[in-house]
Amino acid sequence: MRHVFACSTLLFAAACAFARQDTNDPLDAATIRSFVPGTTTAREVVERLGAPTEVVQLGRRSAYRYDATAAKSTVLLLLVVNFGNQDTRSDRLWVFFDERDVLTHYGASFGTHRPQYALPWEDIHEAEDNAARDADRPGVGS
Amino acid sequence: MNRRCRVVAIAALSLAAGCVQGSYDRAAFDEPIAVERLQALRPGQDDLRRCLAELGAPHRVFEHAVAADGSAGVALLWYWRDQTGFGVELSSGRDDAPGSLSYDQGDVDLPGCMLWFGRDLVLERWQQGLVGDLVPRRARPTAAAGD
Repeated sequence: MRHVFACSTLLFAAACAFARQDTNDPLDAATIRSFVPGTTTAREVVERLGAPTEVVQLGRRSAYRYDATAAKSTVLLLLVVNFGNQDTRSDRLWVFFDERDVLTHYGASFGTHRPQYALPWEDIHEAEDNAARDADRPGVGS
Repeated sequence: MNRRCRVVAIAALSLAAGCVQGSYDRAAFDEPIAVERLQALRPGQDDLRRCLAELGAPHRVFEHAVAADGSAGVALLWYWRDQTGFGVELSSGRDDAPGSLSYDQGDVDLPGCMLWFGRDLVLERWQQGLVGDLVPRRARPTAAAGD
């Protein structure tokens, strides 16, 4: 009886896997906060952050996109049913310039420190959990 | 269930593993923007600076309402995903009877929201919906205005 139970358990718990995939380096919040609308130029932004991921023309204005993503994947492979979860979060920065290439606006979001390994039925990213992770990232937590 | 039935059931499942696979998957990408946060925005009053401060950086930016003098407004798009779905894949497993069938419940459009700003960069309107319904059709950007 024990052998049957053990064999069935082993058959159903065939494998599990964890993976992490990052795209680009996380954005540096302190560098972004040093930008001053009306003063910082496109040249200075590129000198500090490097080449943008995308440049968009907006009539006479322009906008540059910088981003990074982090994904954590968990897979539980059973005999005839598999469970998978992929949690992906991104850092994003858009900087807007006028026709003289002077910064007019910017918006930033930071999330690459938030992905978690989890199974699909687990609740993650509760407010206090996000706040704790934000606090550990320089320049993001209050 | 007696021991013989249990052994047969396990053997049947083992044999079926190659041709019947079920899955239960969840894929999450970034966090949704609650409609209450959008409803708090004031079209005609709030500008690009305030909306960026309130919602953070969008995922995409588009040219909007281009005027004859080359000036243009801006449209900002946010999107996210938190989908859980079942999938089933059946395959014959035989060379003389090839074939497979798969079904994936989780493959649907991304939800998102879009904000449109006029040439003065004041919010005109916002909308929630599926990304495919929100984004403008692909178009060549306006030619750069000459000096």
